[in-house]
Formats: sequence, C-alpha cells, structure tokens
Amino acid sequence: MARITLDPVTRIEGHLRIDVEVNGGRVSKAWSSAQMWRGIETILKGRPPEDAWIYAQRFCGVCTTVHAISSIRSVEHALNVEVPLNAQYIRNIIMAQHSVQDHIVHFYHLSALDWVDVVSALKADPAATARLAQSISDWPGNSETEFRAVKEKLTGFVNTGRLGIFSTGYWGHPAMQLPPEANLMAVTHYLSALDMQRKSAQAVAILGGKNPHIQNLCVGGVATAVNVDNLATLNMERIAALRTLMSETRDYVKKVYLPDMLAIASAYRDWFGIGAGVTNYLAVPEMVEDTRHQEFALPGAIINGGDLNGARILKDHQDPKLIGDISESVACAWYKGSASLHPWEGETEPLYTDFEDNGKYSWCKAPRLAGRPVQVGPTAQILAGYAAGQPQIKALVDSTCRTLKIRPEQLGSTMGRLVARALRASLMADLSLHYLDKLVENLARGDKSYANHTQIPKGEYRGVGFHEAPRGTLSHWVVIEDRKIKNYQAVVPSTWNSSPRDEQGTPGPYEASLVNNPVAVEEKPLEVLRTIHSFDPCIACAVHTIDPDGKEITRVKVL
Amino acid sequence: MTTLIYGAGNLLVSDEGFGVHLVEYLRRHWSFPEAVELLDGGTLGIMTGYRVEEVDHLILIDVLDAEGSPGEIRRYDLQDLLLDRLPVKLSPHQIGIQEMLSLSALRGRLPQSATLFGVIPASYEAGIELSPPLAAALGSVADLVVAELERLGHRLISHRRTNATC
Repeated sequence: MARITLDPVTRIEGHLRIDVEVNGGRVSKAWSSAQMWRGIETILKGRPPEDAWIYAQRFCGVCTTVHAISSIRSVEHALNVEVPLNAQYIRNIIMAQHSVQDHIVHFYHLSALDWVDVVSALKADPAATARLAQSISDWPGNSETEFRAVKEKLTGFVNTGRLGIFSTGYWGHPAMQLPPEANLMAVTHYLSALDMQRKSAQAVAILGGKNPHIQNLCVGGVATAVNVDNLATLNMERIAALRTLMSETRDYVKKVYLPDMLAIASAYRDWFGIGAGVTNYLAVPEMVEDTRHQEFALPGAIINGGDLNGARILKDHQDPKLIGDISESVACAWYKGSASLHPWEGETEPLYTDFEDNGKYSWCKAPRLAGRPVQVGPTAQILAGYAAGQPQIKALVDSTCRTLKIRPEQLGSTMGRLVARALRASLMADLSLHYLDKLVENLARGDKSYANHTQIPKGEYRGVGFHEAPRGTLSHWVVIEDRKIKNYQAVVPSTWNSSPRDEQGTPGPYEASLVNNPVAVEEKPLEVLRTIHSFDPCIACAVHTIDPDGKEITRVKVL
Repeated sequence: MTTLIYGAGNLLVSDEGFGVHLVEYLRRHWSFPEAVELLDGGTLGIMTGYRVEEVDHLILIDVLDAEGSPGEIRRYDLQDLLLDRLPVKLSPHQIGIQEMLSLSALRGRLPQSATLFGVIPASYEAGIELSPPLAAALGSVADLVVAELERLGHRLISHRRTNATC
C-alpha cells in the first residue's frame, strides 16, 4: 500500500492538501484537508450590515462578485426588502457573465492540461488540426494558419527551455490519450480563451462600475443609475457595448468551449464511470425574475442518492428544508466544540491538533444537509434543472447525452462535472443576453427605479443570502442587532465539496470521489488531480504571495 | 506609453493586502496622468491577468514569500518574474501573476517592462490593518514606485507634505 500526499493541489489561490492511500493501482481511502484557517468572517462582527458586502467580496481570491451578491441578499432577506426589477436584471447579468468568465478559465486554464498533453501538440500536423477543428465547429479562428502559428510559438518556447506555465504538467503520462492534433487544437484555444475572459470581465465592469471588485450594489437594489438617454448612466451606448461583448463570449462558448469539451470527453469516456463520490446534490434557485424573490428562471433541488425522480424541487430560497436543515460539523475540523451548529449559531474558534487520520485534519468545517454530505456545483445545478424539467436545461442535457452516449446521472463523475460546467457556461451565456433584453424592455415600459433605499432599523434580525455561484451553492448568514452585525458565517461551495468527515465518519464529496480512482504512476498521481480539479476547487481563498526562489511547494510524497 | 500599477493582495488578511493598501496610499498622495492606471487587483491572478497585456509597462506590488525581516523591500524585473528563472511548480498561485506573464510571453503580448516591488510580511492574521513594519514601509515603496514612473517619463503631482504621517 502506498500513501500519496499532494499539497497543494489547486492551480489558483488556495491551500488544499489531499492524501490518498493506494492499493493495487486504485485509491482505497482519501482525506481532503484545507491547510489555512479562514477566520475572516470575524472581521465583519460589529460593522454596519449595509457595508458587509464590500468586505465580503474579498473573502475569496477569485470569486468576488458572488460574495457581494450573497452578502447583500442576506441583509435584504433579514429586513424583507423588495428589489426593483431593473436591479434584479442587472444583478442577473453580472452573475451570468461572471459565470461565463469563471467557467472558461476553469476549463482552459485550470483543468484542461490534466487531459491535454502540450508536448504532444508539437507533433501535430496543422492542416490535419484545422480539418479536425472545422469538423466540429465553424469558428472562424480554426484555420491552418492559426494552428501553425501556435505550433511554431510553442516549439520556440520548448526549444529555449521555456515551457514556463506548462512545466507543471505530467506530459507523456500513460493516462494522456488525445492525438497530437486534438492537443494542438486545445492548446490554441487555451491561448485565445484569455481574450474571451477579458470580454466577460469588461461586461461585468460596465455594470459593476469596476472589476474585479464591483461597486454598484446597495441594500435594496443597485447603485447603477439607469437612464437610456443620459450619458452619465447606463445608457443605450453602454447597453450596445454590453450586447457586443456578451454576444462574442456566447459565440466562443458555443463554437469553441463546448465542442472542445465534447471532443475531450469522447476521448476519455471511461472517466464518466470514475469519481462520482457523493451523489446527494444541492442547488438553489437562481436568476430572480420578480421584486419579491419568489420567481426564478432556474429551479433548485435537493437530490438524494442520485435519484432524479425523487428530487425535492426548490422554487425559492425560503424552503424550510433549505434554511433549517443546514449544519456544520467540526468533529474532524480544527475547531473547538463537538456539536453540529446551524450557521446562525455558528462559532469559529480554532483548535489546531496535528493531521490526525482518525481525528481532526482540516481547517474546513463539514457542512451537512439533514445530516448528509452534499455535492454542489455545475453537476448539481444542471441535474436540479433537469429534474425540475427546466426547458433549456432539459434540451442541453438531452442533446449532450445523445452525443456522448451517457445517461444524465453520469454527469455525476469526474468527466461529467467538466461537461456539466460547459453546459452551464452555455446556459449563462444565453441568459446574459436574455436579461439584457428584459432590462431594455423594462426601461422602455418606463420603469426607472433601481433601488429601494433601506435604513437599517433597531432590533434583532436574521437573514440568509443564497446564491448559485459558479462553484455551487453559496450562503451568507447574518445576525443583525441594533444596526450592527452580531454574527456572520459564510458557507461557501468549496466547503461543501472539500468537507472532511463528520461525527459519523462519513467522508465529504472530494474524499468519496477519489475512492476507486486509478493511479497508474504513484509518483505522478495525475488521475487524482483530474478528479479534484473537476470540482474547480477554491479553498481557503486568497493567500497570495510571490515565491522569489521558485522552491517547489508541492510535495508529492509516496510513503 | 501607458503604465499599470497593479497592487495585489487580500485586504482582509492584514499584510497580505499590502499591494492594495499601497495603491490607496498612492491615490491619496499623488495625482496621476491618464497614461498611468492604478489597479486594486485583489488576488485575482489570471482573472485580471489580461490587464497586463494592455499596457507598455507594468509595476507590480505584492508581498514576498521569502526569508528576511518584515518590511524589507526587494525589487525584481521582468526576467526575474518569468518562469524560466522562477520555476514554481503547483504552487498555491499556480496561475498567479508570474504564470500570467509567461502566458502573455507565449501570446507575444508582454509589456516592455515589468517591475515587482515586493515586501516581506509580518502577519497573515485576519484583519484589515497592516502590521506596524508594513505600514511604515508604505512611504518607501511609494517613493520607489514614483521614481520608477518618473524614470519611465510620467509626470506626477505630489500632494504629500513633508510632515505627513499617513
């Protein structure tokens, strides 16, 4: 038996350590450990609730807007504030465009190189690559000239020893299965995808005032002045610019990202049978379409044991099964106390031991829904919509399953999570433009309101702000007392997914998904990375230092 | 000729937010011409990386994971930052700013110059204030940034009085 420690495994901010025991070429046991304490919720105590979102959007190093949205919703929920339609539409566009950017970056820059062999791309024939790319998409960038140029640049880099950003890959690993042409196609799109994520970021900046940290929220709406005729506000010119940017990213998602995803998935079909792990899923409704938070375009659901027919469909964020049944266990986490607490009662008092295989081993608490571990993220979002019969999601899933010859339930697998994310990117790209149309229509009807400005009253109020973020269900829980924050807890998507064991010893989604993963070469546990990266992990957000000596931080220890 | 001043870091993790604090400090004490952009980049890494491709010169401010005493300032140039000199592997910020610059190099869109002013932090505790040694370093790092901007040919107007304390 071999024990492999990977620390850290994330390709972006965050400290996640994964330990696996390997028996006969397969993982038999796994531990997921967040290696840094996030005590940052305590910063909010005593501050005015109307400012919470400004701090909250710094919780995470990558997803700033999602914490802003959840935070503002928690205060609006506590005070029962209605939000005007224009503000809902603007928030919806921001959420959808943020998702488009996030999903593009995850696929190309954070996970594709687990499947795409850059060194093999050097052997590709550019003409054959163009034929391959043109057979799956009519994207105008798929020309022989483009592929040849990228191949030459790559060759130059490799010849000067400057593999740089690609130096971390496990090239030539036996689990790499794409032909050279598919590898060159994917690497070419890896480079062009940066231009697209820039366009999404620009769209968010037009509405949010600023990117990466938006400036335009307020309790009761948005601070984006809306007047189609006024130059200083969100006017027709800016709306036209938004439409151009968001149409370009939609085309890229549909003509590049989705076809690439399907091509890679077809080459690695066995990965639809690996990495399911926890098949209890949670997604909350998202994309609000009224002022009172009762109508949503995308339904949520609680799915137990992968049973789509028996799913409990969530129509809004007020379902008692949602608000009442969430608790966080610290049995295996480095915190004081042993009881599982509801987030409104949540405590964050550190108690560090050491890494104990059978005791405490993570800074991440273990969130549970009615005592069960739950997987969140694109698979949960897509399966929830599918179970509820949401028409766009149903059409996307049915056509994809036909193409890949899989069942919808197989979206709960290592490859399935990547495919579900691509489907969600496509959905979000469409919804961005849909809500821009709704905004313009609503303005044309004469509705100019964009905020119900709200004073925080004296007394005690409790609220929760749910949001379906790119990585899954996010919730911010606030207790307000006499205009100040008394308690604040954020239950983030990666906490659900990277959760350690609970008091029953039940593993969290990462841990469960790794069991039975193949490991061909113990020193190069590529297959473990594939499964963990499929969740798009973002742990203990936001420690960010530059290491000037370039010391190797990851320890791949084989014991 | 345009220059981007990119302050990186997380404002909620005390010294980790040094780059963001420095951008605020610069805004308070100088007026900048249009060709100089100040960016509170947070910890976005690749999500904001495209910004470095839009300018001729890049000045980065961040904390350093290095041996030394808190508040110590180190300077690096573009060649130091590119990964062939700093082969970081699977680091927590694997696609952070360094990696982003390599990617821009591959895309043929590197800025002409990049300068990193890094400081050694004292504290990563949760909190929105800098530790005393890093708060004290703000002025010195700002002077280095301003000197670099002037060397590049930008003209700035200072509002800083000689007895200023913040």
